[in-house]
Amino acid sequence: MKTYEQLPDDAGSNIIGQVNAQANRISKRLTSVKYTVAIMSGKGGVGKSAVAANIASALTLSGFSVGVVDADINGPSIAKMMGVRKATLEYTSSGVKPAETSLGTKVISMDLLLSDDDAPVLWNAHTQKDAFTWRSSMEIGALREFIGDTDWGELDYLILDLPPGSERLSNVMELIPNLGGVVVVTIPSEVSNLIVKKSITMARDILNTPIIGVVENMAYYKCQHCGELEPLFSTKDTADTSFQLVSLGKIPFDPKLSICSDKGTHFVNEYPNSPAAKELMDIAQKIQDFFKS
Amino acid sequence: MKFLCIDCDTAMKFKDVTRPEQGSVTAVFECPECFTEIAMFLNPSETQMLKSLDLKLGGNNTTAQPMQMVRSQLETSKQDMITNPTVDTENNESAEGGKCPFTSVISDAFDEKTEPESEGISWTPEALERLERIPSFVRPMAKMGIEGYAKDNGHSEITGEVMNAARGNFPTQF
Repeated sequence: MKTYEQLPDDAGSNIIGQVNAQANRISKRLTSVKYTVAIMSGKGGVGKSAVAANIASALTLSGFSVGVVDADINGPSIAKMMGVRKATLEYTSSGVKPAETSLGTKVISMDLLLSDDDAPVLWNAHTQKDAFTWRSSMEIGALREFIGDTDWGELDYLILDLPPGSERLSNVMELIPNLGGVVVVTIPSEVSNLIVKKSITMARDILNTPIIGVVENMAYYKCQHCGELEPLFSTKDTADTSFQLVSLGKIPFDPKLSICSDKGTHFVNEYPNSPAAKELMDIAQKIQDFFKS
Repeated sequence: MKFLCIDCDTAMKFKDVTRPEQGSVTAVFECPECFTEIAMFLNPSETQMLKSLDLKLGGNNTTAQPMQMVRSQLETSKQDMITNPTVDTENNESAEGGKCPFTSVISDAFDEKTEPESEGISWTPEALERLERIPSFVRPMAKMGIEGYAKDNGHSEITGEVMNAARGNFPTQF
């Protein structure tokens, strides 16, 4: 009796071929993208998406062609932060036309496909239990299509805003094996640093991903009354010393940044002289420098 | 996964895939020597796994459409998405007239405000009932695709069998 190896194919399904075709769609699409950058943090609530949105806007303001993939399939916030929630996606011959911000940054997000504000991401299945069991695969499939089926055109930078979790980067690396680099976002708290370290280990030591550097968000605040700079969080082990990575910058807490995110306007464009905007522009410059070198 | 006809010591070939009920897929394989058929039943979880990976039993000879998995598998999604693909996203070829009814009708599908006219093709009650089970946002597209398949293959009435035959060309199950 013949063995598995002796049978010529998988009865015609060509599963390997189908998987390869999916991968080819992404690699073909990314030939028009110069640099891919993942914004990540193991910890939630550190302001990853706000940092990602503002880095994207800063790069756009610097004259680059920029796209943003909201890789947080279940908690998409980029579309709101970048002011494109009302956009209607257009399906064209060359792929899905992404939403475009007032600055010209291209955006794709699950938020642009959901029916209304309250709608969670639910997948068709015989039962929702079946859907939940395979939810992770569906999310990777969605991300694959976001990256590969969006008509980005020629891009200098494709920014991926990752959801929290140290395993998320590995999902992206499956899709983009030649990821250009990772920006790690943290806040100056021991709890955050403890969790972010796991993501850094995953990125640097296990996935061998180039790490561009660390951004410390909400690093301090400036008192509106006396002008004194005060730490927002208490920590004795800052990102500088605990991660042993390049520090890209320390962004001060600025309520205006949060207000801009809520309004869908671009903080770095509206308040270019604020310390936080200057820091964000500087971070964007360091990302450019990383790829130049 | 491979299948062997033990009597003939020959690899079996994929023949058909159906979805009888309850979210399960049934794949039929046939021995090319003695024509013995076997059926493989996938339980709902296994079926969902295939859907989640956007893989098709029996191979995928259709042209990949932009974000086809997300658009067909989201339970609720925006109804106002504009569609205008008339060209293959991968090969930059015209999708019109292709062998896949999905690709030939996807143009303007999301612009449809009402379901398209049947133009002389009738539907059996069973087929209509199955059509109703297709998610609403892809139903017009599926209806046009099935009718296109029926016309191309000389059917004046759409039955469950015609839907089965047309289904292999769709990314969504019905």
